[in-house]
Amino acid sequence: MQPLDYERAAAMTETLQDQLVAAIEDDIDRRTILKAIGGLTAAGGAVAGTAAGAGGHNGDGAGSYGFEDNGHFAEVGEYRDRSFDPHEFLTTFNTGRDGQDTVDQEVYEEDGRTVRHYQFTAAKTTVTIAPGIEFPAWAYNGQVPGPTLRAVEGDLIRVTFNNLHVHDHTIHPHLRNLNPAMDGIPSNGPGSIDAEEDPFTYEWIAQPAGCHLYHCHSLPLKAHLHRGLYGAIIVDPDPDRVREHPRDYINYHGPMTEDLRDSLVARAKSRNHEAPENDAVNEMVVVMNGFDTNFDGDNEVYAANTRAFAYGLADTDGEGSWSGGQTVHPITVDKDTPQRIYLINTTEFDPINSFHSHSQFFDYYDHGTTLYPTHSTIDTIMQCQAQRGIVELDYGDHQPGLYMFHAHQSEFAELGWMSFFEVTG
Amino acid sequence: MADTDDASLGVPRWVTAVLPLMLLLVVVGLFLATNPLAGVESGSPLPDVAITYVEVPNSDVMVVHVVNNGPEPVTIAQVLVDEAYWDFRIDGTGGDTTLAPREQARIVIPYHTTQGWDFDITLITGDGVTFHHTVVAASPTPGLTVDLLETLALIGIFVGVIPVALGMLWFPAMESLSPRWVHAILLFSAGILAFLAFDAGFEAFEIAADVPGFLDGRLVVVLGVLGALLAVQAVSAWQEAGAGETSGLWIAYLVALGIGLHNLAEGLAIGSSFALGRVALGSFLVIGFMLHNVTEGPAVVAPLTRAERPPTWHFLGLGVLAGAPVIVGGWIGALAYSPTLGTLFLAIGVGAIIQVIWELAKLVDREGGTATSALNIVAFGVGIVVMYATDILVAI
Repeated sequence: MQPLDYERAAAMTETLQDQLVAAIEDDIDRRTILKAIGGLTAAGGAVAGTAAGAGGHNGDGAGSYGFEDNGHFAEVGEYRDRSFDPHEFLTTFNTGRDGQDTVDQEVYEEDGRTVRHYQFTAAKTTVTIAPGIEFPAWAYNGQVPGPTLRAVEGDLIRVTFNNLHVHDHTIHPHLRNLNPAMDGIPSNGPGSIDAEEDPFTYEWIAQPAGCHLYHCHSLPLKAHLHRGLYGAIIVDPDPDRVREHPRDYINYHGPMTEDLRDSLVARAKSRNHEAPENDAVNEMVVVMNGFDTNFDGDNEVYAANTRAFAYGLADTDGEGSWSGGQTVHPITVDKDTPQRIYLINTTEFDPINSFHSHSQFFDYYDHGTTLYPTHSTIDTIMQCQAQRGIVELDYGDHQPGLYMFHAHQSEFAELGWMSFFEVTG
Repeated sequence: MADTDDASLGVPRWVTAVLPLMLLLVVVGLFLATNPLAGVESGSPLPDVAITYVEVPNSDVMVVHVVNNGPEPVTIAQVLVDEAYWDFRIDGTGGDTTLAPREQARIVIPYHTTQGWDFDITLITGDGVTFHHTVVAASPTPGLTVDLLETLALIGIFVGVIPVALGMLWFPAMESLSPRWVHAILLFSAGILAFLAFDAGFEAFEIAADVPGFLDGRLVVVLGVLGALLAVQAVSAWQEAGAGETSGLWIAYLVALGIGLHNLAEGLAIGSSFALGRVALGSFLVIGFMLHNVTEGPAVVAPLTRAERPPTWHFLGLGVLAGAPVIVGGWIGALAYSPTLGTLFLAIGVGAIIQVIWELAKLVDREGGTATSALNIVAFGVGIVVMYATDILVAI
């Protein structure tokens, strides 16, 4: 039975992806014609998308269009641009000690505080948001979402920001920041940083512990946000501080027992990347975003980490080997390893986005600022823009195979925010 | 019949002529003074602000050209760009933000645009009514420079003067043809003109949509077409009355005039596209225009084939009259882009062309041919098809 399920799952991903590409390419063609005379490009995906759509449940109708059935894989589903890999982004944290090659970073001590120093740029770039669909983006260090920063509570995060773009930009942190000059808005401190200026160095204390974000706060806001200037800041709880101030980390007013204190410290260690206990958990960053390709104030593509269906297409044996997708494939997770997802919503134009897990319920920590869940045993959570939280779930009881997770706005799911875990082991 | 000599009803004739107007004034005065319809009047006229076009002089500013089409003054209270309230300044209203009826103004918005992107502009009036305009694929408008005028002149020479002149070089070959074939060529020319009439006519109605509402663009088209048709017909009739019959040279000049007016409109389209930064006029498009316009050359000289060959300077004059207006049109389009002007020029071209078609048919009939012979009808059709085929190359 299982191989059949894989095929159907893959077929659905493929069909949705084709339809999305075809729909957007039609629109892009209109703009191309408008701007440049001659050099027309044909909407190659259109026929495939329509035919697959006409196939219905059994694919009989697709036969006359040259399709064997609607479970057919084709290269049209591959991402050619390899400069950004959402699978790599998922688990890459820039701690100052290690991280991405594209982010210059270092760690040093200063006045008894750990400083994590990063070099940031802002520039215009192009990101691939669906196979063949290029989105003109504004990006930190050339990627959307920007690099994920990770620090421990109480550290100093120092970001030297060099704007290389014709538009002015800032970096605004969603942290408890006590100095308005460091707030990264046009009307405070250095204001918007333009390309002529010397780089500006932002300094923020990493607090409170949690799942946070940074983004550009220049005007117009909608453009600066949805063009891609956002990223995650993960602040790990400091176990020593948790032991001293346990009530900062729990929404609870009863007696603070030693057991509870120990439990909180243990949870803090599990969340802290410098503690060995953290290795037992598989941690991922999922930034829910959307892209308006045709300037109508509505997103044409939705994604987890920029690329539509990047964690989707699957023809797999359930043992971690896929066929059919090199750039597009599910996230492989071990059934006995707890999973922790730092979930952030940066979607513009829509009031909310959401995360729904199939066949399993999860614990959710709103903003990640507590060490006990704010919601337990739920399978759907919604977030407004800039809201974020931590999802903890595992598939320990489950049979190996594919388990979907996606936005439970069906529209967003069908427009790209549709993903799979492949549970192995 | 009444006695019209000096007076009717015992009053001077001028009084009877003016009396109805005087009475009308009295009625209007009474109406305004007593307002007898006060009980049935309800509400007020809807505000109507048209955004005629948006300039993007550079990447830091957008200039919105607006006109108040409504019967009441309108105050522009706020301006939104991409659904965000934004800074603006209104120029041309004498310091306030209120547009009197039919008043035009420029709304200057400091905004950092990005080339190729769309920007949605919304005006909000004092009573909360909104008016929208989308700048599609924003592109910097070059502004008026000597360089631009030179470029437009060069384009005009390439797409107007050269092809028409080249087309006229078919004249010797046409002269050697039998009358039957010369008539066919005259009808071929008529077919070319008929196509141009439709082409320009549709375009006139298209641009008419952007004409400020109180001027009613569609009626501007009607005015232009009928006015030009009647004017050319009157001039033609006057010339005929003097010379006894319409000479081939006269008709050739009429054809050149009709084509020239069409080319003027073509130049307007090119010039305004440049002014609005709308078109990258690639070499493909220039070649397309050349192929399209080379067919106009034989149309101009065809009426001359049956008469004695006129002095060479006439050919020069015909060529300039038919081709050079592309340059003039380009300049006008770039200097003073206005949908009203564009509509009017296009419509005038259509009117002139219709009259010239009629003139060509008369010429054939007068020379003993039959304008509606099988060969001539086919030739007419071929003219239309050739123009359609070459028109595909110049779809802007």
